[in-house]
Amino acid sequence: MRRRGRGIACMWYPIGFTVSANPSAATVKVNEDGTATLLTGTVETGQGSLTVLGQIAAEALGIATEDVHVVSADTDATPMDTGAIASRTTYVTGNAVKLAGERARAILFEAAAPMLGVKPEQLEARDRKIQVRGFPQRSVAIGEAARHALVGKGEPPIGTASFNPPTVAMDPETGQGKPFATYVYATQIAEVEVDDETGEVEVLRIVAAHDCGTPINPMLVEGQVEGGIAMGIGFALQEEILFDDDGRQINPNLTNYIMPTSLDMPEIEVDIVPSHDPTGPFGAKGVGEPTSVPTAAAIANAIYDAVGVRLTALPMTAERVLAAIKAKRAAQPQQLR
Amino acid sequence: MSALRITVNGREHVLSAPPETTLLALLREHLGLTGAKLGCDVGDCGACTVLVDGQAVNACLMLAAQADGRSVLTIEGLATPDGLHPLQEAFERHAALQCGFCGPGAILSAKALLDANPAPTGAEIRDALAGNLCRCTGYTKMITAVHAAAQALRGAGAEMPPLGLTASPSIPLPGGEKGGGLS
Amino acid sequence: MSDRRTVTEDPALRESLSGLEASARLPATLPPAQFPIETLVPEVRQQTPAVGQRATRPDARLHGLGQTKYIDDLALPGMLHARIKRAGIAAARIVRIDTRAAEAMPGVMAVVTGRDVPVNSFGPSLQDQPVLADERVYHAGDGVAAVAAATDAIAAEALERIVVEYAPLPAVLDPFEAMREDAPRVHPPASNVYAHKIIRKGDVERALAEADRVFEGRWTTQMVEHVPIEPHAAIAAWDANGRLTVYSTLGRITLGRADIARTLALPVNRVQVIGTIVGGNFGGKNEISQEPVLALLAKKAGRPVKGVFTRGEEFYASTTRHPFFMDYKTGVGRDGRIRARKVRLVLDGGAYCSWSETTLGKACILATGPYRIEHVQVEAFAVYTNKTVAGAMRGFGAPQVCFAYESQMDEIAAALGIDPLEIRLANAFDEGAASPTGQTLESVVVKASLEQAAARFGWREPRS
Repeated sequence: MRRRGRGIACMWYPIGFTVSANPSAATVKVNEDGTATLLTGTVETGQGSLTVLGQIAAEALGIATEDVHVVSADTDATPMDTGAIASRTTYVTGNAVKLAGERARAILFEAAAPMLGVKPEQLEARDRKIQVRGFPQRSVAIGEAARHALVGKGEPPIGTASFNPPTVAMDPETGQGKPFATYVYATQIAEVEVDDETGEVEVLRIVAAHDCGTPINPMLVEGQVEGGIAMGIGFALQEEILFDDDGRQINPNLTNYIMPTSLDMPEIEVDIVPSHDPTGPFGAKGVGEPTSVPTAAAIANAIYDAVGVRLTALPMTAERVLAAIKAKRAAQPQQLR
Repeated sequence: MSALRITVNGREHVLSAPPETTLLALLREHLGLTGAKLGCDVGDCGACTVLVDGQAVNACLMLAAQADGRSVLTIEGLATPDGLHPLQEAFERHAALQCGFCGPGAILSAKALLDANPAPTGAEIRDALAGNLCRCTGYTKMITAVHAAAQALRGAGAEMPPLGLTASPSIPLPGGEKGGGLS
Repeated sequence: MSDRRTVTEDPALRESLSGLEASARLPATLPPAQFPIETLVPEVRQQTPAVGQRATRPDARLHGLGQTKYIDDLALPGMLHARIKRAGIAAARIVRIDTRAAEAMPGVMAVVTGRDVPVNSFGPSLQDQPVLADERVYHAGDGVAAVAAATDAIAAEALERIVVEYAPLPAVLDPFEAMREDAPRVHPPASNVYAHKIIRKGDVERALAEADRVFEGRWTTQMVEHVPIEPHAAIAAWDANGRLTVYSTLGRITLGRADIARTLALPVNRVQVIGTIVGGNFGGKNEISQEPVLALLAKKAGRPVKGVFTRGEEFYASTTRHPFFMDYKTGVGRDGRIRARKVRLVLDGGAYCSWSETTLGKACILATGPYRIEHVQVEAFAVYTNKTVAGAMRGFGAPQVCFAYESQMDEIAAALGIDPLEIRLANAFDEGAASPTGQTLESVVVKASLEQAAARFGWREPRS
């Protein structure tokens, strides 16, 4: 018989890593027409980091996403970056990009100030314009300011900056310290059906509420959450590298190492929790890794809710679930559910 | 070496290849069509999916000789100079591709589905994508994108307007004469 | 399509070409058409402010068209294909490697072993991993020799002709066995426990003794592979100035460049690392693997060399997620408030340290969960075994400890008759809470996430 259950799990996750310094640098170059080029040493590994970093650069300059072209991942041409690792790109590289954009913007403000008859401090960059704060009708197109800076003043609007999250080393005896700049939080709730004859677990639905600070691109945040849940389901129910007695892998292939397919995916509902981290770029923190953190626990708790057995070893395969159900029946035959 | 006559993306090729040549090797190494990917080489991952006479196949498992006299569609043959295929547009629009390595295969599996079944259910879409492993997306946005593309194809046929795409220039020209709307 | 040009390649012409090179690299008869679809800019990419927009990805358009060039889609003129011979034995002394038969094969252009590597060690925190095993094999996936040949098939066949004689050593496969004093050392004379961390706050023993209820349990997790759909791939090419260019699927090119330069004993400025679009990483492509090997092969052969891991190598020759053994002891008041939590973690690190120290650190910091707990003690050990290397994988230990702390939370809730949502709300961090390391936490929204998920799910609604 198929029995339904629900399980909840929450988590926290730090942004960046602790072993050593964790810097990123970035360069933003504004072109004659107000478009811009961003140079970053990070590598796009699928998560959409180049789009997000482009959006951050665009925001710093008051232009649109499309206006920023992103050049990445060439050690000869792009600035130092600690890399696409540890959910650090939006926060650490993003902060470097924002600072670099602001430095380029400061050059534009210097160029635009005499054009508008004000001081640079009175200016803001918005909607592809540089305008007087409080008087948006007094403005110049960002391209005009850029051209003036470049060909009028001979001062190319280029900004370079770096960012390293401020941390405090941990005491080796007690572990006390400030190992990370910030943390994100999340909750996932799983609804499952467990077949108590076979032990098979089907995940029907997962609701996920994730904090990432300001979502720079909510669509890409959702993509991270959905993908992380898929990986979490594999971790929870299917995936395991097995060894023979001599230490050789038994299943090093995708025939016998089972990872989730489109048929294994439940309905996923993603909520982004409103949050703003003042230390992140425009309030952003990060989202990559945490998305797969609470899934296995939520499913384990849902299995318990469904059939009253607690699995303490992953993956919770049908064999293990069935063995647990049988053990429970043997121990308490009168309490059969 | 045997002579093969294979139509690829609407163009006929007469080729010779060693008998052990797979269709995937023929496409990638001989024809320079690298859209189909080598992910596992044993038909588990689906990254090499192409259409042969309209059917989705794992090109790593099929010998080039088995495609003799048949018509192969790779991802490179899907768009036209007029624009993206609605599936490509929907996958872009809905962020259905992250690292993209499985993308060409998944899009072609979806095309085989929509050619046969213009109004698939969610379960039918999941079935069609079941042979295309993706580690990034959790398939969710892919399924959404296939639904959207099916709708677009049903709605307006080949004449369908691009999904939310505009042809406007990206930025006002210096001097502001075309940037009037922005200042 | 209306344009039905017929491109004919005359078989007779083909037959007349002789030699390996011709059959190895047939000329492309028809390069794929690539045309800009530049006028089609999604509106959302034109909007300001840029932050917060559901902007589409320009790279995703290329993915969907099949135009993205991943490493395996690149071919440099004259490029060779590399394969690496894997030990297939978990622990052994290498007595002898005979590469002569492989070198004699037509089409084989270079063979290298560990003795050819100028500095044969690397690793992000401990440099305990050989580029190619030379004296000793530490796990079955260790590379022992590599071949560059005109085709991948020739390279694969050449591996079969390399003879390696091993003197087997006792393998340690269980981390608890490895922690025993009398266990064989994986990296003699170093201890098998290569990383250790403690976090201590308050008086956990006293608080456990005084707690109304104490819950104890052990949770374990398995070894998991990242499974990027794109396998590890790299191309190495030298120029006449002795400058090396490496195209690689590495996720951290700046630090990868330093590692490559170090293993090859090159000045850093003579190495260029180009990371193209990577077909999935998840932590598995965070350190160098075959890059120095390809560079050495390319140097020996005088040609660019490409290497692409087989799916099998993705499993046994790349890193994996650490198996965790987690003992939790938690003291709770009748009200469901957690007073004390004591955690002991043992990480099976496999044959090399890799990113174990980071994994260990994050696991320790996170192990007690997002909860206000006054008395905390976490102790963790990373242990060598003669198994596949465990390294960075999405979450660095967090998915493992979350499985334990959230499972135990539900056990506590069930035992005390408290709803699982309510017990979490009663214990969760508030803004300004102190973490187990004494850090004051800001922008804390764990309770908000609990409430938001519960509302969306309908947790508090009557169950059908």
